[in-house]
Amino acid sequence: MKRLQRCMRMVGILMLCVFTFTACWFAWTVQSQSSRWIATSYNTRLAAARESARAGDIYDCTGAVLATTDEDGNRVYNDDKRTRRAVSQTVGDTLSMSGTGVESFHAATLLGLSGESVFDTLFNPSPVKEGNSLRLTINAELSRYIHKEFPDGYDGAVSLINYKTGEILAMVSMPYYDPEELENRAEAAEASGSGYLNRNTQGQYTPGSVFKIVTLASALEFLPGVEERTYECNGEWEYEGGSVTCAGGAVHGTLTLEEAFAESCNIVFAKLAYELGAQRLVSTAESFGFNDVFQFQDLIVYDSSIDTQMPTVGDLVWSGVGQGKTLVSPLHMALIAASVANDGVMPSPKLIAEVITPSGSTVLRTQDPPYGRVMYSSTAATIARYMYTTVESGTATRAQISGYRVCGKTGSAQISNDSDAQTNAWFAGFVYDDAHPYAISVVVEEGGSGSRRAAELAEKALKKAIELGV
Amino acid sequence: MAKRRKPDAQALKHALTRANPHFLVIALMAFQVTAMLLLAFKTDTVDWQAIGFAIAMPIVSQVVLRVFIRLWPVDRTLLVLILFLCSVSLITLKDIARSPVTPGEQGVFMLLGFIVMGFGIAVARLRLNWRKASIALMCLAVPVILSPFVPGLGNRQYGALNWIQVSLGGFSVTAQPSEFVKPMLVICLAAMLGNHPGIRRAILALAFAAGLCGVLLIQSDLGALLIYFLTTVAMFYVATSRLGLSLAGIGAGAACAVIAYKTMPYVQRRLQSFLDPWSDPMATGYQIVQALIAIGSGGLFGMGLGLGMPRNIPLYHSDFIFAAICEEFGLIFAVCLLIVYALIFMRALTIAMNARTSFHSLVAFGIAFMFALQALIIVGGNIRLIPLTGVTLPLVSAGGSSIIGTMASLGLLIGISSLNAEAEVTDLRRMEWREGGGL
Repeated sequence: MKRLQRCMRMVGILMLCVFTFTACWFAWTVQSQSSRWIATSYNTRLAAARESARAGDIYDCTGAVLATTDEDGNRVYNDDKRTRRAVSQTVGDTLSMSGTGVESFHAATLLGLSGESVFDTLFNPSPVKEGNSLRLTINAELSRYIHKEFPDGYDGAVSLINYKTGEILAMVSMPYYDPEELENRAEAAEASGSGYLNRNTQGQYTPGSVFKIVTLASALEFLPGVEERTYECNGEWEYEGGSVTCAGGAVHGTLTLEEAFAESCNIVFAKLAYELGAQRLVSTAESFGFNDVFQFQDLIVYDSSIDTQMPTVGDLVWSGVGQGKTLVSPLHMALIAASVANDGVMPSPKLIAEVITPSGSTVLRTQDPPYGRVMYSSTAATIARYMYTTVESGTATRAQISGYRVCGKTGSAQISNDSDAQTNAWFAGFVYDDAHPYAISVVVEEGGSGSRRAAELAEKALKKAIELGV
Repeated sequence: MAKRRKPDAQALKHALTRANPHFLVIALMAFQVTAMLLLAFKTDTVDWQAIGFAIAMPIVSQVVLRVFIRLWPVDRTLLVLILFLCSVSLITLKDIARSPVTPGEQGVFMLLGFIVMGFGIAVARLRLNWRKASIALMCLAVPVILSPFVPGLGNRQYGALNWIQVSLGGFSVTAQPSEFVKPMLVICLAAMLGNHPGIRRAILALAFAAGLCGVLLIQSDLGALLIYFLTTVAMFYVATSRLGLSLAGIGAGAACAVIAYKTMPYVQRRLQSFLDPWSDPMATGYQIVQALIAIGSGGLFGMGLGLGMPRNIPLYHSDFIFAAICEEFGLIFAVCLLIVYALIFMRALTIAMNARTSFHSLVAFGIAFMFALQALIIVGGNIRLIPLTGVTLPLVSAGGSSIIGTMASLGLLIGISSLNAEAEVTDLRRMEWREGGGL
């Protein structure tokens, strides 16, 4: 009997542990995931809740109204057509056409579905429920300006964030849609297919040369003395199974690492990737957030990925220059640029500045902690210096703003094997300025070389941001 | 002297079995009445069925408690916790079921269940040669579990052939035989494995359990299979304290699971919908996606009784009742519900440890384990901690077979608790004798 009891106690303790684990996991998963679960278009409750509750307003950081509910209970968006369209995917819509927008992802808050106690329902018998209002971190005027300046006839995305806090100041995705012109789901789905996609968070782009920031970080941390060496570029490098060439058939000759970065020399970076090996390159990329499952509480950001296997030498060297199977979202690229500016600490993106209850008080809410340290502070300082050189005398000279230290990296990502096809133009960079801590990433799809359209657009957007002083 | 000692013993017996949870009973009755009244006056038209429940539930609770305590010295706290789960079941079903039939039926099943529980208590108190009786029980269990294969009797539901349907003159009854076999399995294993089993008895017991598991596999009732299998392993471990062999058993089970995954597309779909329900939210992932939406909508405090939309969840009244409870009552209440299951498990484990024979001890343990395991499996499935398998949330999900089977098991458990109380009284009396003699 004694033995029986001892064994029972063992099984009992085990079961109680399982109970405790289940309860903790349950509480954790509901707290961290519930807004993701609710924010799907398969949630029939939201449509019903919109019938019975008055959704709260959505403001930009200055207090301009982006969305509100009028007296008849209809949802109306910003009066200005261009502003409305510039923030369309960020704000979203009541039909959840842009499923990752604030209207969907924060629907429970806007409609006052969660966090309401039994007492509220008992003592507030009014038939129409009032939802909470949200103040976003984005600036409507800046978004409008970027939308206006985006090259005509091109698709793409611009993410402009505060590199210290991670606050998203503008997130413009082209093509756009107009939430005021949505009548019903079926029609809307036909009308404008890809306009609903927020390319900043849902886009999965080949990074091209902007990925050299990551390769450089890896080389600086894993290969001692890499800065002092000189490199040779004769336009083509044959590796086992293929060859790497520089963009536009350029031959850079003898150069330092800094010059190679500023001139965006593929051969030097392919050789660095080869020297690093897949394991070290992937480990640096993963510390920058590649292959991670992003779980930010303010917004949904699709995961970025890098091939972990890299079975051939070709996979490795092309990954080093950002081609290959590597995919990244523009917002993540802006965060990578932000981590360089922020001494190697990547911030978490923030979109919600405040939650305001119907009675006008501000709700205390937990904030995402910074994403984490992704590189040494000395590495970040070196990369920032190289990126400054790139803007001063390298490929990104069009991003210069007089009076400010603009740092950046361009990219021209090949998206097909056809060498005549236009490349995606990329720019990732920041203004090194304590009063104006802006990091930016720009993608212009099939926009050609990053040093032209992307860098120009970045310069305009950053200049406007400085002017507005957001 | 003898005359004076007798009332003493009576008082002692009372003191021992009382541990009177007066406060708990009052809280329980208040819960039943307020919740049902809230539901009765939810809409403009008064729901008389809810008012009937509001009156009947406290009365039935009192009657059950009083009758059982009059007949046997049973564990009252355990009974109150069981009554609480039954109340949650009736309130939730009354709240979400579209028709009044489901809560009404459930109420009738629960009344039947308490009668069966009485039988269970009486059976547990029988002085039998349980080893011989268990052979007869095994012979009974086999046809019961095989009954769904009988043509005209079997009834396939949700991809599993584990139901029987009996029609008698236009009146049709469906039942799930595996629910009734559960207490039989526990009794047989306890009788065979108790008191240092020889190798032959152990093999017989395990072969019986393995046979049942095999039948369940053919019926593709994976949830019941998991419960039968793990309960058998746990009871084997406790009875023999052979950790290595028990772990080997679990390993063999895991190997079978891998084979099942490789060969049965049904299992693959289940696992796929567990790993990534959002990839196909309208078909394979539909159930779990809707359950998660419901749980998420509930938040911390729930939407409030009658204010959510749990009917959007498929099978909201049986497999996904936990998700429905989360939506209506919220996270905090749902965690409390989990704690109630854990409390029942701990209480039952105490009964098992206090039992006087290894047979009774093992029966109590088996029932406790099975009960807690079933709750964990379905709650884990609802919250996407483990792949979903279709089992009921004990005492809460709608379903007659499950209620009656569970009540029978709990009856056995409570019967054992009454035996314990009596044995303790005898012990104390003996001690008194000895001390009296010393003086």
